[in-house]
Parts: sequence; structure tokens; C-alpha cells
Amino acid sequence: MQIIYSAISISVPLLLAATGGLFCELSGSLNIALEGLLLIGAFTSVVAAHFVGNVFLGVLIGMSCAMLLSYIQAIITFKMKANMFIAGLAANLLASGLCTVLSFKFFNNKGVVVFNDVQKLKVLNFPIPGQTIFTYIALLLLVVSYFVLYKTPFGIHLRCCGKNETALVSLGLKPDFYRVTAYIISGATCALGGALLTLNLGSFVPNISNGKGWMALVIIFLGNKNPWGLLAASLVFGLADSFSNFAQGALNVPADFILAIPYIFTLIAMLVFSIIVKKKKEFK
Amino acid sequence: MNKKQSVFKNIINTGIPFVIMISLGIVIILSFLLSATPFKTLRYFFFGSFQNLYYFGNMLNSAIPLVFGGLGISIAMTSDNFNLGGEGQVYSGAFTTTIVAVALAPLGIFGGIIALLAGTLLAGIIGGLSGYFKMKWSTSELITSFLLSNAIVLIVNYLITGPFLDPETNLLATRKVPEVMRLQKILPPSSLSTGAIYAVIAVFLVYMFMYKTRTGYELRVCGANPRFAVYGGLDVKKNMVLPMFISGAFYGLGGGLAIYGTFFSCMKEFHVGLGWNGLAVALIARFKPKAVIPAAIFFAWIGSGAKIAMQRCDVTLEIASIVQAVVFFLITCEVFQRNYFKKKEELACK
Repeated sequence: MQIIYSAISISVPLLLAATGGLFCELSGSLNIALEGLLLIGAFTSVVAAHFVGNVFLGVLIGMSCAMLLSYIQAIITFKMKANMFIAGLAANLLASGLCTVLSFKFFNNKGVVVFNDVQKLKVLNFPIPGQTIFTYIALLLLVVSYFVLYKTPFGIHLRCCGKNETALVSLGLKPDFYRVTAYIISGATCALGGALLTLNLGSFVPNISNGKGWMALVIIFLGNKNPWGLLAASLVFGLADSFSNFAQGALNVPADFILAIPYIFTLIAMLVFSIIVKKKKEFK
Repeated sequence: MNKKQSVFKNIINTGIPFVIMISLGIVIILSFLLSATPFKTLRYFFFGSFQNLYYFGNMLNSAIPLVFGGLGISIAMTSDNFNLGGEGQVYSGAFTTTIVAVALAPLGIFGGIIALLAGTLLAGIIGGLSGYFKMKWSTSELITSFLLSNAIVLIVNYLITGPFLDPETNLLATRKVPEVMRLQKILPPSSLSTGAIYAVIAVFLVYMFMYKTRTGYELRVCGANPRFAVYGGLDVKKNMVLPMFISGAFYGLGGGLAIYGTFFSCMKEFHVGLGWNGLAVALIARFKPKAVIPAAIFFAWIGSGAKIAMQRCDVTLEIASIVQAVVFFLITCEVFQRNYFKKKEELACK
């Protein structure tokens, strides 16, 4: 049972990042900068919480920073017509560069920064044991995004933007508006996911996102671009991760291998998914 | 209009000068924000690489792996393949070269060549694997190459600090390659080696391959217009694996030569940044082999400037990665390209 509870808490940042990424994906543009957005959200929320002295405000500031970064990325991609993937990579590189440079500037330290004055997140043992408030925020956000995406005009236009851009243009609407909004939403949710990572630890570790943004991308594909699919897929990833943590204790595997497992697992998941899609197509 | 003028105009039209100016502007802003002594920082950043032969040679030397990475990525990108696995490919290529070279020490130079080929081949296979997945199951090579590379970096880390650790030093590194295999220095006291000559030869060979051979032509067609390539009866599937293989192999070769020329032993995480810089070089060279050398020297200059500024002032090395990010952001923007407005006008006329 313990493994399942820890799997749930591990999957929360993945779910949050994937929810934001889903908006981008449905609007017809893959956002490969989820990783960078997670990282910048993680760094800025804990640093802001340290300077402001309030966790809630810190998270809000972290969200605005990540939203700003994703807004810049979206403007460059859609208004200035840059290559989507290169601009996404740029956001990732900028996030990791900025975190190191700023951490050196503020704390004179490029490694782990511990914030003792930032209040640790409370663990709520009800209804699911061992969860923080973020678990429920993530679930709530998932439900909200389901309604937004499928039951509101905004969501329908956004999905239309991904399926048939010309139809949207002929309605007199601007596809770019929906794409930029989707990017900003992904910035906000990724920052929440990142904030969970650092606030839970009470410290910032370089490269704390550790591939979670890329996992979130694969989760979007595996979850069949559907909110409930995302929930299932991120739980699978959480389970795999908590099993590998368990294996480290039980089997005495070198730490580098344990760190490599999420990447290998994600790669295999991606391959299995594309094989299934290919077979389905052939069947038809 | 004479030819010289038109070359100049072409460069302006690509928008690259704007991008470089903006990214250097960011450096100036950053050093005013971050440094207590901004002018000193900027002086070291911009001119530090030229202040003596040692720094200058080292800067040119650090451009060598970037030339190889940039060439490989150029081939991959002109055929419309994204290889984001450069980091892992450089690292695994360099690591394989080192351990094979150490094992084949009795064979002398001959063993060194085998080792280099082994490293190149392994890195090529790692790159080619993503191309194979794309061919077989249309898995996005962008994501698979990145995931594979990250996993490989961690595994190589384990191998260096575990089974292949050199017990005689305190460094986290493998044993050193034998003296005979090391490249000669051509600009002492700096570490610029004969690898520079190989880099120039490689540029020439890639140029010949891309523009003068049939396979090169096919790759370019597949990149420019995949549908036309299919109708033209080209083997589009082969052209997914081959460019990914070549780009991985070039990264591995660059890593191997960096070991022979500069590092002599594979240190833990010596590769950091080489992969992304190779991609940046290819982007700023607009995937033209001829432009790869100046582009590589530009990034080497940024990198070494940041390093010197870090040693002398109160900024960190990662300023270079911010400059790199700005270049990535702006380099593909069509807005900066003069042709963009022309195209728009043409469309409006129609």
C-alpha cells in the first residue's frame, strides 16, 4: 500500500505538467519546454517564498514567472514564426541557465540550496494518506480542464485549432490567440508541479525536474490526449518510479542506474505506444 | 552588383547578424545586472580570448568538437531529422574511444585508430537507433533521441566512476590514453592540437558528400520535400536512419578527438554543453557545411569568454548558456529574415 501512496505523490507533478501540455497538444502545437517550465517554476516559487516569507505568494510568483517564460516562447513561436521545437529547446536551455546564474547571484552557490525558513508543505492524511494539498489541486485542475476543453466554447475552439485551423479562421477567430493561451496555461500548471517538487523538499537541487517534463510529454501521448487518460498514464509512471525507488533499497543497484530508469521506462513506453498506434492503423 | 556585395547582402538577409547582435546585447545587460564590476566582466568576456596565445589557442581548440557536432546536425537537419541526443552521443563516443584505446595500447597508433572508429560507430548506432524507431513505428525521433541520450549519460557516469575508474588519481576519470595516440600540439602553450586540421578536412568531406554525391542529393530532397521524394521513387525510409546515424557518428568522432587532443582521459561529465552547442552551431550556420567553422568559433568564443570572466570576475559560466538560449530563440524566426517580407509581399500581390 505504501508504494501506491508514494506513487500517487510522485505522479502529481507529472499530472500537473501533462495537464498544461494537453492544452498545447490539443491546440496543435507540441510544447517541448514543459521540462524548462517545471524547472523555472520550481526555482522561482521556492526563492520567492524565501524572500516574501509566504509559501502561497511564492507559488503565485513562481506561476507568473513560468507563465512569462511560456508567453515569451509562444510569442516567438507564433508571432515571430520561429521553429516550434527550437524555440522550445531555447526555453529549456534558458530555464536551466537562469536557475544556475540566479542561484549563484542570490546564494553564491551553484549546487543544492536549502531553505530552512520556508515552511514545509503540510501532509494531509485524509482522504488519501501521505498527500499534500497539491494532489487535490492537481485532481481539481484535471476536472476543470476537462470541462473547459470539452464543454466551453473556448475549449471547443482550442481543439478546433489543432484539428482544422482553416475552419477556425473562417469563423473569424485567430488560431494564434488559442495557441498562446494554451502555452500560458501550460506555464501555470508546470509551475505548480515544479513548486511541489521544491516545497516538498524545502530546498532547490540543480536539475530537480530530472526529465519530468519529457515524461509528461510521453504521458500526453500515452493518455491518448484525454484528461482521464492522463490520470491513468501518470499513475503508471508514478508506480514505475516508486518501484525503482523500492528496488534501490532492496537490491542495492547503483544510484546512476536508478536515475536512468525513468528515462528508459519513458522510452519503452513511447515505443510501445507508437507500435500500438501503428498496428491499429494497419488493422484498419 | 559585384559578387562581394551580394555575399554581404546574403548574410544580412539571413538575419543572423541581428540575432548575434541581440544575443551580445543580452550579455551586456546581464553583466550590468549580475556583476559588481560590469565593465571588467565585459572586457574579459569579449576580449579575454584574444589577450594571449594561451587563451586564443584554447578557444580555437574548444571549437573542434563543435565543428564535428555542427556538421552532423547539419546533415540530420537538412534531411529533416531532429537529433537531440548530442550530449549522450559525444559522451559515449568519447568514453568508448578512451577505454578501447587504453585496452589496445600495445598496438600503438593503429590501436588508436580502431578505438576512434569504435567510439564513432557506437555513437552512430545510438543516433541511428532513434532513426530506426522513426522508420519502423514512426516514433518521434526528437523525443527518443533525447531520452536515450539522458539514460546513456547516466550509464556512462556509472561506468566511469565504477568499473573503469583510474585508481591512481583522485579525479573521477578513466585511465589516460597512451602517449602515441595523443594529437600533437600546434600552438603551445595552448592545447590547440592537430584535431583542427581534421575538423577542416571533415568540413570539406561533408560539403562534397552533401552537394556532390547522389546520397547527399537524396538526403537534401527528403528534407526539402518528403512528398516529392516519395513520388520521385527515393528510399525515404533509408533517409531516416542514415542521417541520424551520421549525426551520431560525428558527435562520437568529435568526442573521441577531444579525448586524443585535449583531455587524454574521459572525465565524468566533461561533455556537458558539447551536444547543445553542436546543435546551436548547426542552426547559426543554417545547416551549410561551409558556414560551420565560423559558427563553431563564435560559440567557442562565447564559451571561453564566459570561462575567463568567471575566473577573473563574479559571474558564472552559465551566462554562456543564456546567450545560447537567446540564439536558439531567435535564429529560426522568419521575421528577421529579409525574404520573409518579400514572400509576404508576393503573397499579397497574388
